[in-house]
Amino acid sequence: MTEPRFDELIHPSTRLSIVALLASTDWIEFGYVRDQLGLSDSALSKQFSTLEEAGYLTIERRVSDRRRRVQVRLTPEGRAAFDGHVAALRAVVAMAESETTTL
Amino acid sequence: MPPTPPDLSHDEAQMALDAVEHRHQQVLAEIDVPGWYWWFLAAGWVAVGAGAQFGGVWAVILSPILFGALHAALAQRALSGRYRTGNLSVRRDVAGHQVLFAAIAFVIALCVVTLGVALVAEADGARHAGMFASVVVALLVLAGGPRLMAALRRHRARAGAA
Repeated sequence: MTEPRFDELIHPSTRLSIVALLASTDWIEFGYVRDQLGLSDSALSKQFSTLEEAGYLTIERRVSDRRRRVQVRLTPEGRAAFDGHVAALRAVVAMAESETTTL
Repeated sequence: MPPTPPDLSHDEAQMALDAVEHRHQQVLAEIDVPGWYWWFLAAGWVAVGAGAQFGGVWAVILSPILFGALHAALAQRALSGRYRTGNLSVRRDVAGHQVLFAAIAFVIALCVVTLGVALVAEADGARHAGMFASVVVALLVLAGGPRLMAALRRHRARAGAA
């Protein structure tokens, strides 16, 4: 069982959505994340940079079929931080619900 | 970093969990075979049917074996369900084996239907019963394959919502 660990870097809604998408995949194309989240290239790049600096994801740039492709993947540290964060969120919900039941 | 923040309310935590689940569902919706796979299967079916109908004894024996080998080589990645488009690769534990098992069951059903249609057509006096059956089943592949995957997606979404 994952130990609850609230992560302030992941918690803002945009970054949480990015990491949640990445958590179910091996890698995702930059453009897919941009389209799903409705962000501009620059806004998404900024979020990626923040997560990359924290060591939570890696960005791989390559050329395939004359197209520039940017693949993003979660690192083991990023996955552990995400799992811990989700466990922390669940703990908050469970705690609040148990308090309501005892009242 | 604290294990849980003291100032995070139940509603905020629940909203964040809902957002996580929503993104997970988006990835689940990507579990499918690539569109080209159904065209490949349909074309292969017609080719095997043509081989059986118009070829000699060796064509009858070899065409299904060759198609089976080609299918095994090309479709292995496609049938994992993890690469519907080139946009992402769904994690193996998230994708599971549903797509593979459903596709195998579908192909077995297609074999039975092909045989059945061919026997009925031949009994009815059709000149090219084998070819007719393979074309009918190829059309079934093109119409039914994507529908089968859509049904699987709906099943997954319902299971996720429950």
